[in-house]
Amino acid sequence: MTIHFIKAGLQTSIQDGGRQGLMHQGVSTSGAMDTTAMAMANWLVGKAQISALFEFTIIGPVIEFSQNIHISITGAKFELTLNNLPVSSYQTIHVKAGDKLNFGKRLQGARAYMAFSGDLLFENKVLQDVLGSKATHLTAGYGGINGKAIRDNTNFSIDFPERKSQVSLRNIDHRNVAYSGHNCFLRCVSAPESSLFNAAQQERFYHQTFKVHPNSNRMGLRLEGEPINFHRPMNISSSGLIQGSVQIPPSGLPIISSVDGQTIGGYPRIAVVISADLDKLAQLAPNDNVIFVKVSQAQALAILKNKQQQLSKALHGSATLPIRI
Amino acid sequence: MSNHLILKNSYRIVENGDSAITLLFDLPPSEQLTKVIMQLSFLLKRRFPETPGLSELIPAYNSLTICFNPLEFSVQPLKSLIDELLQEDLTGYVYQASLIEIPVCYHQSLAPDINFIASHAGINVQDVIAKHTQPEYLVHMLGFLPGFLYLGGLNPELCCPRKQVPKLRIASGSVGIGGDQTGIYPVASPGGWHIIGQTPVNLFAVGTENPFIAAPLDRVKFVEISLAEFNERSEQVT
Repeated sequence: MTIHFIKAGLQTSIQDGGRQGLMHQGVSTSGAMDTTAMAMANWLVGKAQISALFEFTIIGPVIEFSQNIHISITGAKFELTLNNLPVSSYQTIHVKAGDKLNFGKRLQGARAYMAFSGDLLFENKVLQDVLGSKATHLTAGYGGINGKAIRDNTNFSIDFPERKSQVSLRNIDHRNVAYSGHNCFLRCVSAPESSLFNAAQQERFYHQTFKVHPNSNRMGLRLEGEPINFHRPMNISSSGLIQGSVQIPPSGLPIISSVDGQTIGGYPRIAVVISADLDKLAQLAPNDNVIFVKVSQAQALAILKNKQQQLSKALHGSATLPIRI
Repeated sequence: MSNHLILKNSYRIVENGDSAITLLFDLPPSEQLTKVIMQLSFLLKRRFPETPGLSELIPAYNSLTICFNPLEFSVQPLKSLIDELLQEDLTGYVYQASLIEIPVCYHQSLAPDINFIASHAGINVQDVIAKHTQPEYLVHMLGFLPGFLYLGGLNPELCCPRKQVPKLRIASGSVGIGGDQTGIYPVASPGGWHIIGQTPVNLFAVGTENPFIAAPLDRVKFVEISLAEFNERSEQVT
């Protein structure tokens, strides 16, 4: 065994770039909720940006390593220690046999990621793709490790720790990492039913601060606040439901669809979060504040292009140090 | 040819975020409309076979949602193409529809809500089973959960509003009624439908070559089986 989860954390699962082209069969995209953090973690260990890695939620794990490998940690900020000494995220870490990594107190965000060099093995077998991906869908129970979250005392081993891994130590400047903190602005454009909401309902949606409900997960984020009331129920036909859709159920309290969300939905949608802001959903913790901001399609595209440029700058403009094993 | 007339001025293309559009038909769900939607989906897939930018085509009762990468794909030519395609006759969708028989055990032990449905409809349990097994249901689309079939054709007498408080866990294979729909839970999940039976058939066979038992335009017929048959077939599945 190479990676021994002494404690698994609150909800730890294997994720990757997810599944594409299967929504018409009810299969959601899944994969890492924070795709930028995933891309950065994998880059730090020299792997393709959508490679499989671990996703941790709210409470991180305690891990003991029994082989020398490279790892990297990105996403939510925790008080990380390696053998009881502080260690930084957003860099390649060379761990040695016997090293113990501890995710202490969570400081910011909700989801962290850990990438590793080499191929992950569970029970001596290379992890198989399910419908083209290793991503775990916890609610429907498929992908990853039998569709389940990783439990305490689970062991993984690593094959060819140096293969697929560029042999260099890398880091990413923290200035290139966007933390939204406890107040999150989610920029939105129109949804198919946006025009069915009247001015008062739109006003209530865009001019209040919602709070993230604890009953939020990878399927969707539930918000609390002043409900967006209906005078009479909107009767709409169920249709394709994409990530970032903000549905208004009869309770009047918004639900934002996320990576494991259902692929067909029947509640009216008031808005859709822009692609560039979907990563922010991963980092929302219970009681964080959410404010929706309307933008135009042109702005949404410009923001996405800018984000893409920032990512490639962060990855290619960062220091790559020669290896020191 | 006939759909040419009904489609004219009966659709609109609306924004669905910055990376999708939804084509909405102002028409009630029907087999003909599902054919048009599937044909359009097929034509778009053929037109953009390896385009990295066009990622999902999600058909529904009277809509088609098209997802794309906005960095690689621009929406205006896509809209124009849809307008152009909808001028053509789309009834020519060639699909070898199958009739899929799904065995269902309606025994009380697997059907916690069948008595409620019977009393709601003012009929007895045998009549519920007879009315549920009688139609050939049309598969309009798949979605919600992997392999979940949206079926059209439930006998109006069996329609019943969903439960006010959803149950936290419904076993996979459970057959239920919710509103004017009937369906099968492909995986265990929370749900608000009234459960009237269970099938031993796996609707989402993870790890097999074709994990899904049906596609849009197929037909589904429920066939009653005994508890003994159910138990026997459940063992074969697992």
